[in-house]
Amino acid sequence: MNEPILRIRNLTKKYADKVIFQHIDLEVKSGDTIVIIGPSGTGKSTLLRCINLLTRPNEGQIFLNGEEITAKGINEDHVRQRIGMVFQNFLLFNHLTALENVKLGLTKVRHMKAEEAEQKAIGHLKRVGLSEHMDKYPGQLSGGQQQRVGIARALAMDPEIMLFDEPTSALDPELIGEVLEVMRDLSKSGMTMVVVTHEMGFAREVADSIIFMERGSIVEEGSPEELFERAKFPRTREFLGKISELYGKKEKKGE
Amino acid sequence: MKKVLVFIISIILITTLLAACTQSGPASVLDKIKKDGKIMVGTSADYPPYEFVDSAGQKTGFDIELMEEIGKRMGVKVEWVDMPFDSLIAAVKEAKIDVSISCFNYDEERAKEVGFSKAYFNSEDSFIANKDFTGKIEKPEDVAAYKLGVQSGTTQDTWIKENLIDKNLIKEENVQLYERVDQAALDLAAGRIDILMADYVPAKALLKANPGFQMLLHEAIASAGPLNIVLPLNDEKVKTEIDKAIDTLQTEGVIDQLAAKYFGE
Amino acid sequence: MDLGNFLSYIASGTLYTLGASLIALPAGLILGLLFALLYLYGGKVLSNLMAVYSTVMRGIPPIVLLFVLYFVVSGSVNLSPFLAGSISLGIISSAYQMEIIRGAIQCVSGGQLMAARAIGLSQTQAVREILLPQALRIALPSWSNEAAIVIKDSSLIYALGVPEILRRAQLISASTQQPFLAYSAAAIIYFALVFITTRLLGRLEQKLAIPANP
Repeated sequence: MNEPILRIRNLTKKYADKVIFQHIDLEVKSGDTIVIIGPSGTGKSTLLRCINLLTRPNEGQIFLNGEEITAKGINEDHVRQRIGMVFQNFLLFNHLTALENVKLGLTKVRHMKAEEAEQKAIGHLKRVGLSEHMDKYPGQLSGGQQQRVGIARALAMDPEIMLFDEPTSALDPELIGEVLEVMRDLSKSGMTMVVVTHEMGFAREVADSIIFMERGSIVEEGSPEELFERAKFPRTREFLGKISELYGKKEKKGE
Repeated sequence: MKKVLVFIISIILITTLLAACTQSGPASVLDKIKKDGKIMVGTSADYPPYEFVDSAGQKTGFDIELMEEIGKRMGVKVEWVDMPFDSLIAAVKEAKIDVSISCFNYDEERAKEVGFSKAYFNSEDSFIANKDFTGKIEKPEDVAAYKLGVQSGTTQDTWIKENLIDKNLIKEENVQLYERVDQAALDLAAGRIDILMADYVPAKALLKANPGFQMLLHEAIASAGPLNIVLPLNDEKVKTEIDKAIDTLQTEGVIDQLAAKYFGE
Repeated sequence: MDLGNFLSYIASGTLYTLGASLIALPAGLILGLLFALLYLYGGKVLSNLMAVYSTVMRGIPPIVLLFVLYFVVSGSVNLSPFLAGSISLGIISSAYQMEIIRGAIQCVSGGQLMAARAIGLSQTQAVREILLPQALRIALPSWSNEAAIVIKDSSLIYALGVPEILRRAQLISASTQQPFLAYSAAAIIYFALVFITTRLLGRLEQKLAIPANP
């Protein structure tokens, strides 16, 4: 299995004159967990949304399992079925229960029969620890619970890769742990993941590779040891130092 | 269903095609009447004793019974269509109804839009006021000194406009128009108008119902008397047929009988 | 007693009033929904067209529109005053309903649509399964108001000669010279119709409400 699950080549995104990111090159091998860190506004979220074609890049190419998904004539809906996404604001469907949220993709997109879809959905909700809450509506769930449903909803589609866009940034501190635990288990089980986060403890422990992005470019890339212990660029060291103070130590305490 | 869809599409087109439609229609409405076996007659059944509804909700009155008789003579059924008086002329023009009987007087303005049968009855105009009214009304123009009320779209309305307002005998704001004559009567009783001008026969009915009213003056003023049935413009065939029926009823004395029944002193 | 007959004569106009409302409201809903979706998702030309439609139809008094739609268009198609009046009322209502639905759709956060697309739903599916169910719940209170307006506005078709409640009250008032009784009867019937309708829609609102912790 030599072909990486995800390959990004020379990707550039602009809004009018403003450059969000440029000349991004990236490869994600099957089963790897890639964590992207960096100051806010450096285009990390936009990059994720380009990967599953919610936004179109201006230049460059993206390959999913060897197939170019940025080519003309590609059915974007089909591509998105193969990529799972978890949002900072959970974005659960407010008028549906947790179970219905997870079921929807199965019945409407995969055209599964209702009973089969329901069984599968219950399985995924069990996996994230929420089977007792499956008939609750998002308005009745805590932030951490909602996010876990969001993860189950994305997983139900059996994606080839999972994208996480600052999944814990909108959560109260006590609730962050339960979500990170689900993500940790997911990573261990072999899912290919790209995670944008400020949670340094998670990055250090779970990532196979960390990418530091600033002002629209990748500054440095390497394994957690490489970046945390002997980062090449001063800016990387500076950023990691500041952030670890804020987040990393807290994460260690909470484990 | 198909007709409904066509209707909706027509409406969408109308916002871009605002050119007035020219009048279209069958050669004579009489052909359609004979074919269908019925004549659609429009009236405004809020004008006793010419046309009104009884306690069973049935239309009745001088005009109503007269038209039923005409229908019999023509050998067709009468289908009544009630609508506000103001809408009747347009309804005949647009062939929504075949003819209309509703205490209409011949009028030159109207004659540009629709046709008229010969006269089937002679009416007069009248002025009524409250019993405590003390003004002296010796000729029609004398009413110009007071606040007037009249039903809109009637020949009385036109007379007031042409003979009083346009001749500067009365200011426009002193003439109140009403959709129906019973509304005017309410305002008269309340004192919002001083004098009500209306057709003599319904005015008499109002006097009967309102003991507080008095008749000031009545003669053939505006309308020069005759009542006519409204017909489609330039439709000679149907005019001939209806005129014939009116003559027959006149000769047989039916019209006099109805007058006695509804206008009897 | 004569009075009883007269009152029941007025009451039987309810058939026409209800009939007109039951044609106008759904017609307005179907058209209003279509126009709202065209305005939001139909591209520049259609969007502008819908904006003009909405502005024009809401800028002219309903009775004027009724006459225009009935008399002017009647040259080409012959429909009964009742049907023509009811459909015209529906078309007038569609402009107001379009605005209600449009506003409600815009209340639903863009994230909902984004999350729907992210799991692979097409735009059509996303609008149908995620956007509209939430938007229509938001629209319900305003829609209930519009329903009341349509029932009351149905009285306008009296001008076309439809024997509905108001016209009957006018005829009785003229025949009996008892305007207070005739119009009070009409008022009570209209009030009852509107009251029952808004109550029922209120219950629907409660039934559809999405549970949430306060």
